[in-house]
Amino acid sequence: MSPWISCTLDKDKPDMPFNIEDYKDIEPLPITTGLPDELCEIMYTDNYKQIMGIARALVQKKEYSARALQLTSEVIGMAPAFYTIWNYRYDIVKWQMETHSNVPELLNNELSWLDEITLNNPKNYQIWSYRQSILKIHPSPSFKLELPILQMMIDDDTKNYHVWSYRKWCLLLFQDFSNELSYTDTLIQRDVYNNSAWAHRMFVLKSTAPSGNDINDEINYVKEKIELVPQNISVWTYLRGLYEYFRKDVYDEEIIKFAETFTNNVFDLKTLENLPPVESSYAIEFLSFVYSKNEATQYKSITGYKALSEKYDPVRVGLWDHKIKRIQQGNRAI
Amino acid sequence: MSLNNNRKKHIKFIERHLALLPGSHEAQDVNKMAIVFYAIESLCALEIDTKEIYTKNLGWIHKHYSKISLENDEPIAGFVGSLTMDIAGVNTISLPNTLFALLTLLILDDRAFLTDSIEMGRISSFVSACQLEENGSFMSALNFDSIEASSVDSNDLRFCYIAVTILYLCGSRTINDFSRYIDTEKLVEFISSQKCNVGGFGQYGEPHAGYTSCALSALKLLDSLDRLSEEFIEKSITWLVQRQVSNIGCSKFENENNASYDEFDHGGFQGRENKFADTCYVFWCLNSLQILTPDWQTLCNTSLVRDFLLNRTQNLVTGGFSKNDEDDPDLYHTCLGIASLKLIDESFNGVLCIPKNISSSLES
Ligand SMILES: [Zn+2]
Repeated sequence: MSPWISCTLDKDKPDMPFNIEDYKDIEPLPITTGLPDELCEIMYTDNYKQIMGIARALVQKKEYSARALQLTSEVIGMAPAFYTIWNYRYDIVKWQMETHSNVPELLNNELSWLDEITLNNPKNYQIWSYRQSILKIHPSPSFKLELPILQMMIDDDTKNYHVWSYRKWCLLLFQDFSNELSYTDTLIQRDVYNNSAWAHRMFVLKSTAPSGNDINDEINYVKEKIELVPQNISVWTYLRGLYEYFRKDVYDEEIIKFAETFTNNVFDLKTLENLPPVESSYAIEFLSFVYSKNEATQYKSITGYKALSEKYDPVRVGLWDHKIKRIQQGNRAI
Repeated sequence: MSLNNNRKKHIKFIERHLALLPGSHEAQDVNKMAIVFYAIESLCALEIDTKEIYTKNLGWIHKHYSKISLENDEPIAGFVGSLTMDIAGVNTISLPNTLFALLTLLILDDRAFLTDSIEMGRISSFVSACQLEENGSFMSALNFDSIEASSVDSNDLRFCYIAVTILYLCGSRTINDFSRYIDTEKLVEFISSQKCNVGGFGQYGEPHAGYTSCALSALKLLDSLDRLSEEFIEKSITWLVQRQVSNIGCSKFENENNASYDEFDHGGFQGRENKFADTCYVFWCLNSLQILTPDWQTLCNTSLVRDFLLNRTQNLVTGGFSKNDEDDPDLYHTCLGIASLKLIDESFNGVLCIPKNISSSLES
């Protein structure tokens, strides 16, 4: 085995520092540039040309070695969107697995390397799919080991779509939902408008077959959050989601009363002149939807949509007119 | 304020991206084909005679076309993002780069290529190889040394949309045409699996305007919008119209506590609930709406959208558009800002993301 391989495989020093001298024997495959009809020509630095030239040669030769792995790290640092290099790196790792005495450790090291790349490229999406690929070949993957990077990335950007998606992918892989309600609660306490946290919570409920009591608790939970900030679309969407999914879209007297506490009797008004102040347009929309389901209350629904057009959410007048038209044609508002 | 007042500055801003770039752009090297498309498409939308100016660069674009030889079969083919990625014997072509290149060639009226049925067949076979057997979705590239969908890529709605659009550009029109290369039934099922309860599409139940636009555009090209229920379409229209940010009525209460609310975003669109408005999400939302209903211009307020784009995210000093009024303008948001305005003018094909005078040539 060549020296650089044993070096990387030595568990005491997994990270061999990058040294260009290690590639002296490689005939680089230079990049083509400087063409007369070239667009977006880049004034490449010598370093970029050198590293890319070696990387291109190594990929072409399909060299599987520790130095090749090291070089992919350099390339990914310079051009993280170079998908072929991720692919090549993955194959090198799989090759290492064949001879490594401790595969879990090898892959955990790979995940640690990935953590660092992730922290430097938070918006890159390749990092998450690469991570999934590593976990898929890991003989003993651990949700616990995934939590620190998930935590750091969500702390850094609490609505990062890719990170939340990755978290949900992990939940399904590990079938461990035990910590998620309290985790989302922490984030919701921090920012009650965090739609990703609410969507995550709904995903957890749908994945775990909660009891009727659990759903009651959940309805009370979101009611508290609505009382805290009534003008917040995420909480009303969540409330509707609970009823739609776990209560067959049937809205009881209690929840209607609750929503009415935010609407200042608008639904009982005979005329829309001098509409009173209300705390939440979403409460009006929620009730207008609920009232549209029953022919006897559809007139209230129309009042609600008209009030939204008139005062509480006038930007969407086109949408509210459309809802009224639907009801008049005998449909639910939806 | 109108787009035309600032047209010259926009053109200068866009052209700069096609010229010699400093070394600090190295990270973008592998995305060159995307840059070329965003720039040339934007110039075309601004009614520049791109054919006249960039025909001389066609040879360079063609150099990005790469064939992968197969033992007993016709080769498959596609485009790479940059000549830096073009390595003989290594599979570096990708679906996004192939789409960007084909659209650019279409804009530049390079018909010789787009009417060559052998090449179109090879590209369609590449699309075919990127589809995943397990669920019908697509990876964006192949493994570097085999004709299998990449083992390390993500398979989301973006690549489903891109795959379908490439096939469309390569001549597929009916579901039978598409089915020659891909499993359309599985694909439509995958797209449907990304539907969200509140309307829109996204991963694991959180709707996202970008994914929504991809899903609807793909279904539209597959002529399969009828696979969506009336209820889901109504929910999606509602969800999309709700993404227009407002500072009148009750919305103004959000000014106090919502850290992701800015009253000056008025009229713009956000990509998800409780996020700031952003130029690119104007496009993804409006494109989604126009696919769902011919009444889209009366359902949302397009004059406020224009105000948001022209008075807030358009940069009057340097040209270009940014995502909001804080960041520097960039090519991506410039492209989608102009596209949004042209969509409102009904002169833009949002599904293919090119001006209608270009896309109309495909319909004959
Ligand atoms: Zn954006």
